[in-house]
Amino acid sequence: MGELGKLHQLIIPFFGHNITINLEVVLMTWIVISALLLFGFIAGKNREMLPRPIQALGELIVSQLYGLTEDALGKEYAKTYSPLICALFIFLLFSNWLGIIPHLEEPTKDLNTTLGLGIMGFVIAHYAGIKSKGFKAYAKEYFQPIFFMMPLNLIGEIAKIVSISFRLFGNIMGGSIIILVVSHLVYSVALPPFLYAFFGLFVGTIQAFVFTMLTVVYISVQVK
Amino acid sequence: MTVDTQTIVSVAAYAGGGLAMGLGAIGAAIGEGYTAARANLAVSRSPENSGEIFKNMLVGQAVAESASIFALVIAILLLFLDVPQPTLLKAAALFAAGISMGLGAIGSGVGSGYPGGEACFGISRQPAAASQLTTNMLIGSAVCQTPAIFSMVVALILMFLNLGNSAVNPTWAAYLGAGISMGLAAIGSGYGGGLAAGASCAGIARQPKTAANVTTTMLVGQAVSQTPSIFGLLISFILMFKTFPATGSISAAMALLAAGICMGFGGIGPGIGNGMAAEGAVRWVARNVESAGDLMRIMLVGQAVSQSTAIYAMVVSLVLIFVL
Repeated sequence: MGELGKLHQLIIPFFGHNITINLEVVLMTWIVISALLLFGFIAGKNREMLPRPIQALGELIVSQLYGLTEDALGKEYAKTYSPLICALFIFLLFSNWLGIIPHLEEPTKDLNTTLGLGIMGFVIAHYAGIKSKGFKAYAKEYFQPIFFMMPLNLIGEIAKIVSISFRLFGNIMGGSIIILVVSHLVYSVALPPFLYAFFGLFVGTIQAFVFTMLTVVYISVQVK
Repeated sequence: MTVDTQTIVSVAAYAGGGLAMGLGAIGAAIGEGYTAARANLAVSRSPENSGEIFKNMLVGQAVAESASIFALVIAILLLFLDVPQPTLLKAAALFAAGISMGLGAIGSGVGSGYPGGEACFGISRQPAAASQLTTNMLIGSAVCQTPAIFSMVVALILMFLNLGNSAVNPTWAAYLGAGISMGLAAIGSGYGGGLAAGASCAGIARQPKTAANVTTTMLVGQAVSQTPSIFGLLISFILMFKTFPATGSISAAMALLAAGICMGFGGIGPGIGNGMAAEGAVRWVARNVESAGDLMRIMLVGQAVSQSTAIYAMVVSLVLIFVL
């Protein structure tokens, strides 16, 4: 039970401020990145007309996500943004699934990861909006319906980052807290595998998909 | 008469446990009743599929019950928890845990009955799509549970995390506020997510070919319906983890309690409203799949406007916590 809320941190003093690095999260993120690179390398090597299973899996992921991006953004933007969307989805999927392996933890359990990805999506969506509409038309939207609504519109945009990143963080962290407490209460007998299947595999997949889709839809709201 | 701290902690734990299960029983029962009612209608329309419908009804009700089961777990934990160092703060935290879980189970319980009911009815219209309907119902009602899961997390943190040696006076109100904020804000979101999931089951029964688009729209719609409950979670995290300076005055404590109440009530309406927007979008995606992209975009813009009231509530809560 003592594990609840405990973190390994590296604290570096820096001109009177402390820079805090959550070591476990960095390590777990690198594990996910290495696994993805390995998967990409194996799936992309020796491509054949008649695909081997792992190449077929890679093609399935890419084509499905390309289709989803195309539905929401149209053909032209899909070419630009689908690689990003695809990478985001498989990164989140691997991250959310990592917790089912003993001694490993989901990087998405840490708010810094999800907030970082949320801010990334926000910046990309607004960049896409400015690029497609021009800065004037983009800025004008903040003064709708009347000019003094500007601060509230601004807060509304920032609340999108809060909601998208806290949704993923809350689900993954909530799942891991429930698994920890329930496993402790039943002395790790019988229940934990089912909890891992539900919170790790099922909720993890759904939340990875939801995060990715929301990023796509935020971009599509900005560009159209 | 003097009352020792141990007694106060026990009283708070028992009261919290009672509230957790009592309030937590409301929602799931209504949701399961709705599922059963639609199943009856479905059987009367097509008695030859009664076996399939009956099976689907039981599965749907079992999932709808999970919010109540979360409440039961928290209630039992509260009743049998033994606290090593009883303090007045722990008493406030335990009572708040019960409130958070009890209120938080209402919305998800009612909401997750809708996909079950619509799936039963859908099987009577489109028996060939039965397995698709059951899968979609399971995904939809599992996602409906998210606000209840958030409430359970807040309850577990309040019960088990050693929240440090904070000053008793404003912090008791912060814990109560945290429980109320999460519990109330989960009501609207759970119910709204259920509306979207119900519409998606009805839509798949109408047009099984559109299942992929309908499920995608449902998931995005439900996710945005949950935004008010995420604001509630944010406010309750701030209230639980921020350290407040000790004061003798009651006004600082009331500001923290009011912050929780403000965010909690402010989240109910936007959650339901966002769910209605999602319900409409999902229903029309099933009928007109070519414009799925436009429908989803309009749904999202509409939901953003509808949840602006939740954002006002969050701004007022943040002002109450950080400024006053």
